[in-house]
Amino acid sequence: MVRTVLHADMDAFYASVEQRDDPALRGRPVVVGGLGRRGVVSTASYEARKFGIRSAMPIGEARRRCPDAVFVRPRMEVYAAVSAEIRAVFDACTPLVEPLSLDEAFLDVTGSRALLGDGEAIARRIQAEVRARTGLSVSVGVATTKFVAKVASDLHKPAGLTVVSPGTEQAFLDPLPVRRLWGAGPVQQERLLALGLETLRDVREVPLAALAQRVGAAAAERFQQLARGIDLRPVEPDRDAKSIGSERTFDEDLTADDDVRRVVGRLAAEVGRRLRAAGIVARTVRVKVRFPPFRTLTRQVRLTAATDDDVVLADAALELCAAARAPGEPVRLLGVTAADLVPGGASEPRQLGLFEQEGAAGDPERGRRLNAALDAIRERFGDAAIRRGE
Amino acid sequence: MKILCDRQQLQEAFTVVGGIPPLKTPKPVIQSVLMDATADGVTLYATDLEISAKVPVDAVKVAEPGRTLLPARETSALLRELSDPTLTLSGQEGRTTIDAGTGSFVLVSNDPSQFPAEPEFKQGVEVEVPVREFLDMIRRTSFAAAREETRYAINGLLLELKDGGARLIGTDGRRLALCYTEHGGDAQNSRVVIPIRALQALSKAVSDESSEPLRISISSNQIRFALDGTELISQLLDNRFPEYEQVIPKAADSTIEIEREHLEKNLRRVAILSSGEVRMVRFKFEGSEVKLSAESSGIGRADLSMGIELNGPGGSISFNPDFLLDALKVSDRELVRIDMTDDSTPAKFTLGDSYTYILMPISGS
Repeated sequence: MVRTVLHADMDAFYASVEQRDDPALRGRPVVVGGLGRRGVVSTASYEARKFGIRSAMPIGEARRRCPDAVFVRPRMEVYAAVSAEIRAVFDACTPLVEPLSLDEAFLDVTGSRALLGDGEAIARRIQAEVRARTGLSVSVGVATTKFVAKVASDLHKPAGLTVVSPGTEQAFLDPLPVRRLWGAGPVQQERLLALGLETLRDVREVPLAALAQRVGAAAAERFQQLARGIDLRPVEPDRDAKSIGSERTFDEDLTADDDVRRVVGRLAAEVGRRLRAAGIVARTVRVKVRFPPFRTLTRQVRLTAATDDDVVLADAALELCAAARAPGEPVRLLGVTAADLVPGGASEPRQLGLFEQEGAAGDPERGRRLNAALDAIRERFGDAAIRRGE
Repeated sequence: MKILCDRQQLQEAFTVVGGIPPLKTPKPVIQSVLMDATADGVTLYATDLEISAKVPVDAVKVAEPGRTLLPARETSALLRELSDPTLTLSGQEGRTTIDAGTGSFVLVSNDPSQFPAEPEFKQGVEVEVPVREFLDMIRRTSFAAAREETRYAINGLLLELKDGGARLIGTDGRRLALCYTEHGGDAQNSRVVIPIRALQALSKAVSDESSEPLRISISSNQIRFALDGTELISQLLDNRFPEYEQVIPKAADSTIEIEREHLEKNLRRVAILSSGEVRMVRFKFEGSEVKLSAESSGIGRADLSMGIELNGPGGSISFNPDFLLDALKVSDRELVRIDMTDDSTPAKFTLGDSYTYILMPISGS
């Protein structure tokens, strides 16, 4: 059966909430972010975006670009509450809701069509309900796959509704520029452009081998699939996520301690990024180690303060790993999980630690800024683009 | 074994050792307390294999020397409930009989020869400290030590002997309490981590009224406290204790003097409206006053100000009110001194002549 997948994405979420709650901010450029000397922009209102202000930009630069903008601190508690409202709207449409962060989610509404009408009808219902319950606007893309739905939702922001009917994906995708390709950062984009590929149609039509030579075999295949509108990833409902984890199984057992440390560090960084993307922090870190053939140990520790910081997560995970595994002992699988999740975010008050070297050089603000920068780079250039020194 | 004793005295001695036997153990014999009656008198001895305590029982008459095991839970409950002034205890094979005027109680007991022997204590560093002061030090530092399962679950206090002084330090990674006293004894330096449970047992075991000093002996893996015939031996913890000296601020931008009792009361008031994921009260030191405020989304907010003596620029800083109240409660100073620099570095509270408390603020306020 042809799936109907929706991607719903709140428009300038934090900034819109602030404008909703303070009429004086409406129609004005609003920048939500850390206001300290080293703060970064979380969200800019559409009025502020006209000045070139973007997420993850240092707040100082945002001030230079638009001195008249209103700068406000994020109120995560409020956003989390609004997010729960929105989530309730989604949940009323389908059990298959995959939240990506506080303000966006995929919905698989295939099974709801008989009851609620086609994808477009459900999308309109979501837009109306979200506005009625929160006073905010949401853009929705309707398609047969996650990729196309996500591209569609972004096309006519704000308050956009873009429907890509089954069979029209090709026509919809073909004229789009290559930057719309999921997973193609500026480096990959430049390589595509160097091949003379400007649109998704060009990517679809170029011989696979030629593409593979430029961007690598795996990426080439993925890009062509996406350009054809093929994306088999299912919508994975993640009802109350109790933990966020990442694990890796090795074809050959890992024995070198340095290798184990490196993998644990990377897994922790990945978990940290997902925590930050979802706007949550974790109080517990869990490590899973499988020794060949199947003996599996898990160890966990409760942190003194909830965190989403790569370094704190990695330190805890490394300590646990060292306790679970003897030096040189072969390992088949490693996993790092963050549990005990609570809504977090840059502005959430946090008990500082006396001995904790949190983030870069023991300065939590710097650590946070570094994490935001790393996330922004990975978002644009892909996961492999940058990594902490190991 | 057969003794005649004063119930009050026995009950008091039992309170000291009764908390030591573990509730759950693969070795049920240690859930009892060993009573040893000799011509010299009667002692009670209990152990959980980590901590052991021996305490003399006053006002006894030994009719027949011997040893018997008393089940800890039932015996302590009985002693609490009985009201007769004197009791006769007699141990025969496999049971102990407690005869009171109101009735007699037979307790099935294990063979005393199965009970673990007292640990051998190898002599080490020996010091003497004033007992009342040491008990105060325990009270003023133990609350700061983490007990829950956290990264700094040290479950112990650091005892540091250095240059004729004894320091006791507790920390959970967010706050640190440090007390100091001078001691008589070996000049040798020493640095050991003592289980909280042992120090709690010690607080129950010795009287702060005693005129004798508390004798502390430290070997490589054990510590012994002795006073008036009572003896408590504990294993030491081999946990690494954080380098605490590094986090004690050496200098501060602002120094504040504030009335302790007043602060404690006001903090309690404001803290009522500081619920949320992280409990937090904001302090704003400015001119000759401090403004305390707290906010609880959906509940309300509190604002309150009180007079202070401020030297320096002042500024804002937020703390978990519970962490501060814990320490204010056990301080006996009229005026406390706060040294602070900014809202992201530790503040130092001087809560007594030899009582320092370091508290890390809450950020993002």
